[in-house]
Amino acid sequence: MTMELEYNRDLYGVEHEAGPFEITPELIQTFNRSIGETNAMFTDHATAQAAGYSGVLAPPTLVTMLVRNVELPDIELNFGVVRFHAGQRVQSRAPIVAGDSLMASSHLKEVYPKTGRSGTMVFTVWETTFTNQDGLVVADVQESYASRE
Amino acid sequence: MPDHNGPFFEDIDLGDEIGPIELVATDDNVANFCALWGNPMPNRFTSQEIAEKSGLPGPIVPGVMSMAIMSQALTDWAGPEALKDLDLVFRQPVPHNKPLLVSATITDTREEDGENLIECDVLMMGEAGERYVGGTAIIALPSNSE
Repeated sequence: MTMELEYNRDLYGVEHEAGPFEITPELIQTFNRSIGETNAMFTDHATAQAAGYSGVLAPPTLVTMLVRNVELPDIELNFGVVRFHAGQRVQSRAPIVAGDSLMASSHLKEVYPKTGRSGTMVFTVWETTFTNQDGLVVADVQESYASRE
Repeated sequence: MPDHNGPFFEDIDLGDEIGPIELVATDDNVANFCALWGNPMPNRFTSQEIAEKSGLPGPIVPGVMSMAIMSQALTDWAGPEALKDLDLVFRQPVPHNKPLLVSATITDTREEDGENLIECDVLMMGEAGERYVGGTAIIALPSNSE
């Protein structure tokens, strides 16, 4: 049986922007503390400078926390009563350094059904691209939400 | 790469295993993470009562935080700039205050666009073999001939 999914397909191609997000040393240190990160490139200014950076590096998943600041519309999906965070992907494109200022731009990437042992679920995937103050793409984050009946 | 203390590309073979690296997300770790994340508390990540109302046995570790923990385990091994791609599926709720065992198995090694890349299956498991989070990672390693 082919499932006829109904949702707002007009959302494809529409970008939802947020920012700027200032990547301060304090933000990086607070993130480090919450996950017990101790690598000197993420925690020590002098170590990062000796490696040629202007400040400490942001751990590669720090940007995933910023995604929730993008206001995303309801896609008006006609399926499911339970919705949960099913997966996440981060692709690092360039180093993110303390002092950077990032903009986020999110769009609907895909909506697809999948049937497995526990029944059918519909996955909604949003993709967010982070760009720094020089216009360089530093990371892409995909978040996948599953809906089930 | 300055002061590289991690593995070199030539050291890696298909099937090699990394870890398991044992980590714990305490109640305090999760509360600090939620505060930084901007998620209003209490919530199902910090409150027993709210978690139970959502059908969970207890407060859970946010997926975003599970990813941060797995990323940390990988960058500890490979180096702070090594992780290029981490693609995870959240399979089961991840509990607080319990050992989380992060491991990886090398599934591919290749040179691409001048980089030495390894691909691996990554897993976060519980002590009783619960498969909490699974997925794949792509890591760039330096060559020992550079």
